[in-house]
Amino acid sequence: MKDPLTQRLWFLFGLLIAAGVAGTLLSEHFLKASTVGFLLQYVPVLGVLGLAQTLIMLSGGPGIDLSIGATMSLAGLAIAALFTAGVPLVLACVVGLAVGAALGAVNAVLICVLQVPSLMATLATFFAYSGLALALTGGSPIGGLPDWFAVLAQGRFLGIPVHMWVVFVPLAIVLHVMLAHTRVGSHIYAAGNDERAAFLAGVKVWRLRFGLYVLSGVIAGIAAIMTLSWFQAARPDAGDGMELLSVTIAVLGGTHIFGGIGRISGTVLAVLIVTTLQVAFQLANISQAWQLAAIGILLIGSVVADNAVGDRLRQRMARPRG
Amino acid sequence: MAKGRAAVTSRPFRLGREALLLVALIVLCTIFSLQSEFFLTERNFTTILRNSVDLAVICAAMTIIIILGGIDVSVGGVLAVSAVIIGRAYQMGMPDWVVVPMGLATGAVLGALNGVIIARTRVPPIVATLGTMYIYIAVLFLVIGGVWISGLPNTLSFLVLGEFAGLPAGIYVIGVTYLFSWLLLRRTPWGQRVVAIGCDELSARLVGIPVEKTKIQAYALIGLFAGVAAVLYVARLRNVEVNIGTNIALEAIAATILGGANIRGGVGSLIGALMGVLFIKMTQNGLVLIGVSSLWETVVIGALLIIVLVIDALGERRTR
Repeated sequence: MKDPLTQRLWFLFGLLIAAGVAGTLLSEHFLKASTVGFLLQYVPVLGVLGLAQTLIMLSGGPGIDLSIGATMSLAGLAIAALFTAGVPLVLACVVGLAVGAALGAVNAVLICVLQVPSLMATLATFFAYSGLALALTGGSPIGGLPDWFAVLAQGRFLGIPVHMWVVFVPLAIVLHVMLAHTRVGSHIYAAGNDERAAFLAGVKVWRLRFGLYVLSGVIAGIAAIMTLSWFQAARPDAGDGMELLSVTIAVLGGTHIFGGIGRISGTVLAVLIVTTLQVAFQLANISQAWQLAAIGILLIGSVVADNAVGDRLRQRMARPRG
Repeated sequence: MAKGRAAVTSRPFRLGREALLLVALIVLCTIFSLQSEFFLTERNFTTILRNSVDLAVICAAMTIIIILGGIDVSVGGVLAVSAVIIGRAYQMGMPDWVVVPMGLATGAVLGALNGVIIARTRVPPIVATLGTMYIYIAVLFLVIGGVWISGLPNTLSFLVLGEFAGLPAGIYVIGVTYLFSWLLLRRTPWGQRVVAIGCDELSARLVGIPVEKTKIQAYALIGLFAGVAAVLYVARLRNVEVNIGTNIALEAIAATILGGANIRGGVGSLIGALMGVLFIKMTQNGLVLIGVSSLWETVVIGALLIIVLVIDALGERRTR
């Protein structure tokens, strides 16, 4: 309990409960079993993007991926276009992931090889990718996916959406284990905490970040597959606003924007908080404006809280041990 | 040190970013005018100018913010809130001399609020302005209630649509804004402080520059300019749409970077930013005229940004 990061997780947990209570007070329909399934329906797509953003930020630099939503749109369009051209859907999905990886690799080359600041590089690719998504389709969605494909994002198993079971939860667990228990994970933290020290200790900082940007593209591809299954169509604007929302979730979850501090569990809680708020407001028929305002206030408030946590951490480190 | 100097002198001549942009603008004009007879006309250039005014005004302040080492993605939100307040004030029958100061004050206050959050709570500018962007858009939705405000008076339209001494009024507006910003940035102690903070915030603090105060003032300035842009927007279109200002922050950042500003702070060019604005707006206009879907404009802007970033990065490598 004394550990500031654990305290932060409890704080987020409290926020989640508060959001749930707010939902119950706002709408009589909120406290029902069906709400859980309805709520979790929204979690995986935003959740995996938040996880990707968390990894990028953790590795420092400072790292950010503003093109993640646009990458998701383009990957989704690629899959749908290939499928309508006669490619088997599973193969098309694999190609979609490869498209995501390639788009992520463009970011990686700009940021890690050419040393362009990530904010500028991904802003530029955000323009290019989202523009391409609109221009190549003329703004209209590509539909006509088979019905069985809907099982992934519309099906339920034990009342919980299938994509929660097969995508979000496994990915979160894998990434958690990677960060907490593997060498790659400690390298990511090291690179984010002190790039130079990590480099001197033999961590290939920029190669590591290169990999993470590519991974971010692949995860955007996964998000695209889930959206495709959910809406049965690829929309050129599917990822609009996702870049900022995923940054919001990562930061709300306690990931430090300059890297080195953060946990997967925080990001998962943050996704649940944001989604609970969204669903509560939706059920209570409250204007979308309040939802935006709440996200904005949460975002700023959580960073202010974070700075306090960071200060305490630093004091703790400065204190001699034993 | 000697090595670095040798590398610089070994380059036969150094093209400034402004010269490079000028060449790019000329090439762009040539391409468009070969494809469309309507592009290279006085009337079309007036149109381009009118469409550029809001973005140009915001870019002047964005350059200062980026030189300061900050960023503001909430300018679109500030513009939107100012515009909606101007719209509501007009609807209540208030005269211009009340409405305009109200719009400007709204912008300056919202900008200063950003500045206070960034300077006092040490929230990184990108996160702080992202958060306030959500809040400002929420305010817009609440005030506007999902319906356009339209049919506003045209008493100020001359600021954008009018003509003085044979030149479109927009030129004077842009000229005054950029002259003011240039004097502020390059000819006052305040401007020197901004550059100093952008180059090295810690050192600036150590030599006694009031970093917090300067930051708040700079963000108030970009808010004020967003207010000016809101006045010009309402004057030009005489309505306030629901999705006003959605893209303008990213466009402004893109134009400023095209113009040679470095997002790490300390470096930037007002004239370059203005040329960046013209480049973006000319591309948007020209693509429509030569019959390419306007959906391609973001692709062109994005590709161009990437090219510029790569050229910059390679140049930096060579001098390193």
